[in-house]
Amino acid sequence: MLRMTLAVLRKDMTLTLLRSSGLAQALLLGLLLVFVFSLSQGAGESLSARNAAAVFWLSSAFCQVLIFNQLYALEETNDSRLGLILCPAPIQAVWLGKAIAGVALLLLAQCVFLPATVVFLGQDLAGPLRPALAILFLTDTGMCALGSLLGALAQGQTTRESLLGVVLFPLLTPLLLAGTGIGAQAFGDADPDGPGAWLGLAAAFDAIFLAAGLLLFAFLYGGEE
Amino acid sequence: MLELERVAHVYGHTPVFRDISCRAAGGSITLLLGGNGAGKSTLLRIMAGLTRPSSGAVRFSGTSGKIGHLGHSTFVYPALTALENLTFWRDAHGLAETGDGMLKILDRVGLAARAHDRAGTFSRGMAQRLSLARVLLLEPDVLLLDEPDTGLDAASRALLRKELLEARGRGACVVLAGHGVARDAPPADRILLLERGGLAYDGPASSFFSPPAERACCA
Repeated sequence: MLRMTLAVLRKDMTLTLLRSSGLAQALLLGLLLVFVFSLSQGAGESLSARNAAAVFWLSSAFCQVLIFNQLYALEETNDSRLGLILCPAPIQAVWLGKAIAGVALLLLAQCVFLPATVVFLGQDLAGPLRPALAILFLTDTGMCALGSLLGALAQGQTTRESLLGVVLFPLLTPLLLAGTGIGAQAFGDADPDGPGAWLGLAAAFDAIFLAAGLLLFAFLYGGEE
Repeated sequence: MLELERVAHVYGHTPVFRDISCRAAGGSITLLLGGNGAGKSTLLRIMAGLTRPSSGAVRFSGTSGKIGHLGHSTFVYPALTALENLTFWRDAHGLAETGDGMLKILDRVGLAARAHDRAGTFSRGMAQRLSLARVLLLEPDVLLLDEPDTGLDAASRALLRKELLEARGRGACVVLAGHGVARDAPPADRILLLERGGLAYDGPASSFFSPPAERACCA
């Protein structure tokens, strides 16, 4: 399973970063969101740390939807999905490979969104960085575990693609709340309760989404018509 | 051996076929014939495990269950080179073939000179040959082919025939679906004829090609 996971990961990264338009569309959408929110401020004003963190995670969430639409669309050309189903390894290797590729691509996008949030929304990375990095990892993991599962549902069908966003966002709410809570602290917002509860919430939803991916992926991505 | 037991399939409320029971032995080529919409592709997909039959069962015995599928869909990634495509399928199937080995396979299908070209620049026939290279790489015990000669020129069809005969020679169970019997098709050992939702013929090819069946089905 590991070898197939790595094969899918390597192929998806090669095709996304080297052989296509890459992340351009997803990056533009996220940056547009940050920029539009920057227009809501008057001259010399800055968004509150909590609002800025919410905008950062919203940008990440929209970006993630496009990333997984793109990753699963790769298998639609020439029905490569059927070839993957015929492979002897468990089909969950595809889910895992694409989820890891999604995390890597999302982290790359966030390397652009974070400075944009700091610059356009007038923020300062004044808070503790360690919990911020932990929540970045936990939230991205959960978002991509779920995104990879629902990306399989959306593959190749225009009407289903719209379903990805509709189903994804309500399910992501706890993770986005945790990300926003700790993101606000990273931007200097004081929280007397500290990051522990948010990290616990994110870890719990990661576990749920990872388990859901392992259990449900074969039903969504199998050969049935 | 590949065995189908009372397999039936329904699309929505429309029955495609019912009560299909047959066997395809290792080291043989079985030709699955039928007109458009007879259900050949569906039956092949059921054999491959890509579609679950509405009822009945598919069994494999005496094989490792390694299935190769070659059909209208080539499973080729156009943005990868021919060699990268093969490398991906090698890793996905957990095989140990070396880079040189894959170049030799590409050479067998006449694509060695284009190994480092993107598959998106290939013609339909070349993409089909790359797909054949993928199947050769797998060395499957069960080889399912759905009109594999689509888009192939005479030389490529001859290559396909040669490779199928080799697969039969090493004991693979080959099932080949088509509308009729082309002059340069590989010689079949057994014929399955799908007609009116059932198997109209299941027997040796030699009996099938004696009149009047030949006139009725393969003119």
